[in-house]
Amino acid sequence: MAVSQRALEATGLPRLGRLARVREWWEQEHVFGYSLIVPALALILGLVAYPFGMAIYFSLSDYWVGSPGQFIGLQNFRDILGNEIFRQTVYNSFVFSLIAVVLKTVLGVWLAMLLFRNFKFKRLIRGAVLLPWVIPTALSVLAWGWMFDSLYSVVNWTGIHLGLISPPGPNWLGMTSYAMTAVIAVNVWRGLPFFAIIVLAGLVSIPREYYEAAEVDGANSWGRFRHVTLPLLKPVLAVVVLFSTIFTFSDFNIVQVLTRGGPVNTTHLFATLAYQIGLTGGNLGQGAAVSLFLFPMLAAIVFLQLRYIRRD
Amino acid sequence: MRSAITRRRFLKTSTAVLAGTSVSLGRAPAFAQKRELTFLTSNHFVPASDDELRRQAEIFAKQAGVTVRVDTIAFPQLFAKRAAQVASQSGHDLIITGAADPFLYEQHLVDMGDLVDYLGGRYGGWYAFAKDTCQTASGWRAVPWYWVAFPGCYNEVHFKKAGLQPPKSWDELLKAGKILKKQGNPVGIPISHCTDANISFWSILWCNGGKVLEADGTTPAINSDKAAQVIEWYKELYRDAMEPEVLSWDNASNNRFLLSGKGSWIHNAISPYVAAVVKKMPIADEINHHNSPGGPAGIHSSTGVNSLAIWKFSKNVALAKDFIKFLFQKENYNSFIVGGSAFNQPPLKHFAEHPIWASNPKYAMLPKEAEYVHEQGWPAKPNAAVQLIIVNFVLPDIVAKAINGMPTKRALAWGEDQIKLALQGKLKTEGKS
Repeated sequence: MAVSQRALEATGLPRLGRLARVREWWEQEHVFGYSLIVPALALILGLVAYPFGMAIYFSLSDYWVGSPGQFIGLQNFRDILGNEIFRQTVYNSFVFSLIAVVLKTVLGVWLAMLLFRNFKFKRLIRGAVLLPWVIPTALSVLAWGWMFDSLYSVVNWTGIHLGLISPPGPNWLGMTSYAMTAVIAVNVWRGLPFFAIIVLAGLVSIPREYYEAAEVDGANSWGRFRHVTLPLLKPVLAVVVLFSTIFTFSDFNIVQVLTRGGPVNTTHLFATLAYQIGLTGGNLGQGAAVSLFLFPMLAAIVFLQLRYIRRD
Repeated sequence: MRSAITRRRFLKTSTAVLAGTSVSLGRAPAFAQKRELTFLTSNHFVPASDDELRRQAEIFAKQAGVTVRVDTIAFPQLFAKRAAQVASQSGHDLIITGAADPFLYEQHLVDMGDLVDYLGGRYGGWYAFAKDTCQTASGWRAVPWYWVAFPGCYNEVHFKKAGLQPPKSWDELLKAGKILKKQGNPVGIPISHCTDANISFWSILWCNGGKVLEADGTTPAINSDKAAQVIEWYKELYRDAMEPEVLSWDNASNNRFLLSGKGSWIHNAISPYVAAVVKKMPIADEINHHNSPGGPAGIHSSTGVNSLAIWKFSKNVALAKDFIKFLFQKENYNSFIVGGSAFNQPPLKHFAEHPIWASNPKYAMLPKEAEYVHEQGWPAKPNAAVQLIIVNFVLPDIVAKAINGMPTKRALAWGEDQIKLALQGKLKTEGKS
């Protein structure tokens, strides 16, 4: 325990040196404790709060890349709401996120249950399943771009040779519905391991006794899944769906590399449109307004899901 | 067991390491430093061109007693990089610009009028498009560096087999394309979200007498009978001479299409031929080029002009201007043309006499393209609205909508709405426009 200066003076002991006094001040709990928080706080303020504040400021001004703008209130929001491309983007984002998250949830639980079983090379395969999530997205999406390529599509070649599709096969990235299917498929492929591994962790934590008790009561495999696995997985699933919804809504790489928002803007998401208008187009104010539209929607989703988790 | 590392020792050590690192990462004392000129450009399609640029930078550095750092990054990263530099008022001295950049960054770029006059006077004058792309209302904000020709690239064998000559007009292309598609060798112009789709649309529209904006740069002009004819032409070309794959193409797709041996004609830079030669592909012998086709309003070809600009915040403005002068010295610019395998087209007339154009008959027509070339946006200057029209792919989307069944007039009205929205931008300019 540090001895205070006054106490030393009172007892007639020699005064502490400057360094020792600094050390004494530093080791007080409220100083030392807060000092430890400062780096994290600085990071949050510098890397989250400041950019967020700037984005709000940009969205309320006619700020261009080379020209600081003036405050124009909600004009940028009015402009983008009046733009058909933005309205199309809102629709795309909901279709993309809803279908992708549902598919990832269903397939993720299924994959987790497969991985939960005992089989040869279990650890190796569990590790391999994570690969799509680990490989840098831009890199893997380039490979997908080749697979959906209009001229050299591996997907079409395989389908045609297996007799599943008739030549020349779908124009994956050129037709509206196929392009959306393609970007959703790549998003599901990439996000599935995240789901599967988290759900697998949830499965491992379910006590075996519950299954044994259910079996004694005559529950078949569906009954065990329906009445034991699913209810006990609910909290884990809710969290993973929450994260996945945020990741999916704010996806950028997949669309940017595969379609650049085409054909005719039918695969644009908030992030890709914001990048297009704000950075390549130079209209930072409007770009910020597009990206900020994501915020209230995600906030609402997070609020509802967190409420659901707490209630449970 | 007591840990060998106490909290206090950890803090002491880490503080010492941090302090040491910050000292070692910091700038060396001024007396030990050479003046450094920094240059940010994009990765060249022909890597040898960047090698040549670095070689010249080293020679200049030695002559001037400075160091020159050439940083090359992927083209799509340039937008964010430049925006960040201008926001922080720090970064490279010299940057590559193109399209609307000199207009977007007008307030932050050094006036280059003196250098433009000097180089123009020395090397035979600038082609007309130089003014369009670098001269803003307040003066020259960049020096045109090199431009990329966008001729017709075709497979001679397919054309010979069909008994056809390379097309001189877009109508001839349509007629030839119908025959070539039946032969199994369709033609290809992208109608998608890619740069090439924009470039071709401007060229075809101009040749047919249409325009996107009036010369004032603020009045939409897309919703016209001439533009409607162009859309009808596109629909016919798509149906009878192309494959649906053009709706999904990126900038490399048309290259692959021609190099695969399937395609007979594309509107593109000479990159497929250059790539085929570099990779020693047999198809290189079959590929040739012809001038970009014309139409009732003459020959007009859209292009991308790369230019050089200096940030006002640079502390090396004079040195950067000297470096640009050095790059344009006859022997250096000639080596730059060779390094880029004829990809780097000169904006100055004297350099068009380079022997490389005569050395290969497939390049012979390239310098003439300069007479037909305009920057995207013409007859308007490439202002902020033009930039938004380009990056939002409004023009290829008008065509795609019409191809997908929307009546031509409605598709053009949609395009006009998008152009009006782009014109709502309130970018401030220094001079009077």
